[in-house]
Amino acid sequence: MLLSVRFALAASLALAALPAAAEEVPILRVHTYDSFAAEWGPGPAIKAGFEATCGCVVEYETSDDAISTLRRVQLEGDTTRADVIVGLDTAIAGEARATGLFAPHGLTLEGLALPQAWTDTEFVPFDYGYFAYVYNKETLPNPPRSFEELIALPDDFKIVIQDPRSSTPGLGHVIWVAEAYGDRAPEIWAGLKPHLLTMTRGWSEAYGLFLDGEADMVLSYTTSPAYHVIADNDTRFAAALFDEGHVVQVEVAGMLKSSGQQQLGRDFLAYLVSPEAQKVIPTTNWMFPVIDIGADLPAAFNDPGQPPKVIPVDEAVVTANGRAWIAAALAALQ
Amino acid sequence: MPRFNSLTLPDRPIRILIGVAIAIGIAALVVLLFLAIAGAAAQQDATPHSTIDLPHLLVMTSTQAGLTTILSLTVGTALAWALNRLRFPGRDLVVGLFGSAIVTPGILVAFGLLAVWGRSGWVNGLWRSLFGTPLDIPIFGLGGILAAHLILDGAFAARVLLARLDAIPTARLKTGQSLGLTALQRFAIIDWPTLRGTLPGLGAIIFLLAFTSFPVVLLLGGGPANQTLEVAIYQAAKLDFDLTTAVTLALTQVAVCALIVIAAAAFAPVPPSLGSSRSPTWQDAAGPRTVQWIVLAAGILGFALPMLTIIVDGLSGIGPVLARPSFWNGVLTSLMIASAAATLTLLLAFGLCLARASTDRAGLRLTVAAPSYAYLAVPGIVLALGFFLLVRTMGILPAAAAPVVVVVANALLALPFAVATIGPPLDAIARSRGKLIRSLDLSGVRQFLAVEWPLVAPEAGLVVALAFCFSLGDLGVIAFFGTQDFATLPLLLSRALGAYRTNDAAAIAAIMLVLTVATFVLLPKLFARSAHARA
Repeated sequence: MLLSVRFALAASLALAALPAAAEEVPILRVHTYDSFAAEWGPGPAIKAGFEATCGCVVEYETSDDAISTLRRVQLEGDTTRADVIVGLDTAIAGEARATGLFAPHGLTLEGLALPQAWTDTEFVPFDYGYFAYVYNKETLPNPPRSFEELIALPDDFKIVIQDPRSSTPGLGHVIWVAEAYGDRAPEIWAGLKPHLLTMTRGWSEAYGLFLDGEADMVLSYTTSPAYHVIADNDTRFAAALFDEGHVVQVEVAGMLKSSGQQQLGRDFLAYLVSPEAQKVIPTTNWMFPVIDIGADLPAAFNDPGQPPKVIPVDEAVVTANGRAWIAAALAALQ
Repeated sequence: MPRFNSLTLPDRPIRILIGVAIAIGIAALVVLLFLAIAGAAAQQDATPHSTIDLPHLLVMTSTQAGLTTILSLTVGTALAWALNRLRFPGRDLVVGLFGSAIVTPGILVAFGLLAVWGRSGWVNGLWRSLFGTPLDIPIFGLGGILAAHLILDGAFAARVLLARLDAIPTARLKTGQSLGLTALQRFAIIDWPTLRGTLPGLGAIIFLLAFTSFPVVLLLGGGPANQTLEVAIYQAAKLDFDLTTAVTLALTQVAVCALIVIAAAAFAPVPPSLGSSRSPTWQDAAGPRTVQWIVLAAGILGFALPMLTIIVDGLSGIGPVLARPSFWNGVLTSLMIASAAATLTLLLAFGLCLARASTDRAGLRLTVAAPSYAYLAVPGIVLALGFFLLVRTMGILPAAAAPVVVVVANALLALPFAVATIGPPLDAIARSRGKLIRSLDLSGVRQFLAVEWPLVAPEAGLVVALAFCFSLGDLGVIAFFGTQDFATLPLLLSRALGAYRTNDAAAIAAIMLVLTVATFVLLPKLFARSAHARA
């Protein structure tokens, strides 16, 4: 009896929520990672820009990092309230596609300026960057120039990276090591183990730990130092270029089949690749825009600019091997 | 189990009915939750995505829990020994401080430890400014986990063991004093036999707490090298969406915990000990006293420093946080959830314990009590995962069911402690006053209002305080059900840490700590006063 009362209560709560939402201005619920929706991230400007034309309200719902948003939607299944997910990347896109939760975007994406041609029918790219370790030039005059140099450093040299199961940079790092070293990847991971201060759930916590001086290097992007130059006029930070080359991350957004706001969701995706939104990206998300925005791209983005060597990554290969690579990396760290 | 003549007990069929109904409801819920988990796992592809090395995980978790237990018992014994011998102003405060360890949220201890001992924590800052080189303390990893557990469980052990030492009969102490025992002899001859009986039961509880530790390991684990099953279950479900692995881990966790609970039940029970501690009269010689002062000072520093840092750091930057509506939403949500959970815990505990005290049939007494203890073996994460999947299977929006589920789950998690606290006194009342109540022909309601409530009100206050604080500090259940609109303070704290808004995190931690301590100190007093007013 106690049970049925409890469930009746829960059910009535669920029903009560429905008619209330229908009468108001439509709400577009965008699930994303927290630094995207943060006050200093691209979220507020994109919300304001889209709301100016859509006659709707954009609400962000955040997780520590992008993969967490996908897991949450998977856990919630058809009961999810999310309409759009922003911040997945090409490494997790294959797995996200396989869930069958995402709807085709139906957009003709022309004029993209990406390192790779774009044919994806479900995910829309909104920025890209290259994974790299960021360091402080004053405290670290001679940064390692490869993973092998990094693991040869004394044990008190600390790095902080993100968990590949929750965070796209964390996953990108696993792919980076796997693609660059193949069978030797576990060896590199075992070498990284003594240097690992911690593995954070998301990018923000890792970068914060680094800025607070808890670690010597942090896994981030080649474009992160531009933030310090432009926002703080601080030139101490740099990205360590590795001889192995760097892996590109294209961040994407997609809309859910279960969403009751299909048209709004499609409009939002289209807005994300519009010049207006793309001009916001470099100085808020600190990544390269996916279209040519000309002089609106700050000069600091040319240092180091596109890395000299880029490791090509194939979505099918990543989707097929990603889980095994993560398992091998985690096993080496145990 | 005490046997007493059924003729001395008033006939209370309604109480027994209510108790049995609650017990069956809880048992049915547990079964339903497991069915939901198993059902969801069966729907997934048969092959688990992630390869979990279960033996390794078990060894790792057991090693951590074993070390925590040994360290906590050692430190607890040393602290209890020092506190039992020393008399100083503020002693009650220190005893209260250690007593509150049982309700201090693990997430706060982890946070406080980082602020004190982290690479940019202030101990390191002080060291660097004095000696020029950084002092590398490994706060992430096993060291940090053990330190945080030691703070929580060492203080808990100290409080329990101190109560044992306090209970040593004065006559025995007088004999010992007149024989001129040295400090060492006194410990070996008088203290140790008293403590020895409590250590296995206490050790089992600490092992269980460390084995199922969640927020501490999540925050300080530093990656896959240090995990507990609890964290692995969370990660399998929330990070890998691998329900098959989550179910395997959950079943393992429940089996191990059930073994520990059964083992613990075989040992002497650990009495709740939260009253005041009487001051000693027999002091040791100067040498041992110096050692006692050092032990006590180290204990207070180790325990209080992280807490003080939380308060100081938090209050200094609290301005911007207070201006944020999400913060006040969190405070309100936390208070409402914790109040509801505490009330529900008390009602369920009374329902079960009144029924148990109304009968002397061993089978019935066990039936009523057993399901509430089942929750010691079912960890919070498993509970939360089960609830989540159950709600989803029923097609209810998790967000809509969240408030009800979080309250129920938190209440169930506090129930074993509640039953252990108010069960024995209610039994004692039935035993000693049953005949009188029967001969006066009091109704069940009158019996409760006139006899039972005034006598157990202090324990009821303790139950409410415990349940309130447990709920206030819960991260496991809310981690599954929290949304942007429905977030408690621990979830906000965890999010602030995840987003590296250290300032926000510090302020939220400070508020949580103040709320926890205030509740734990004030609520039992309030209840005791209400009982006096009635009596």
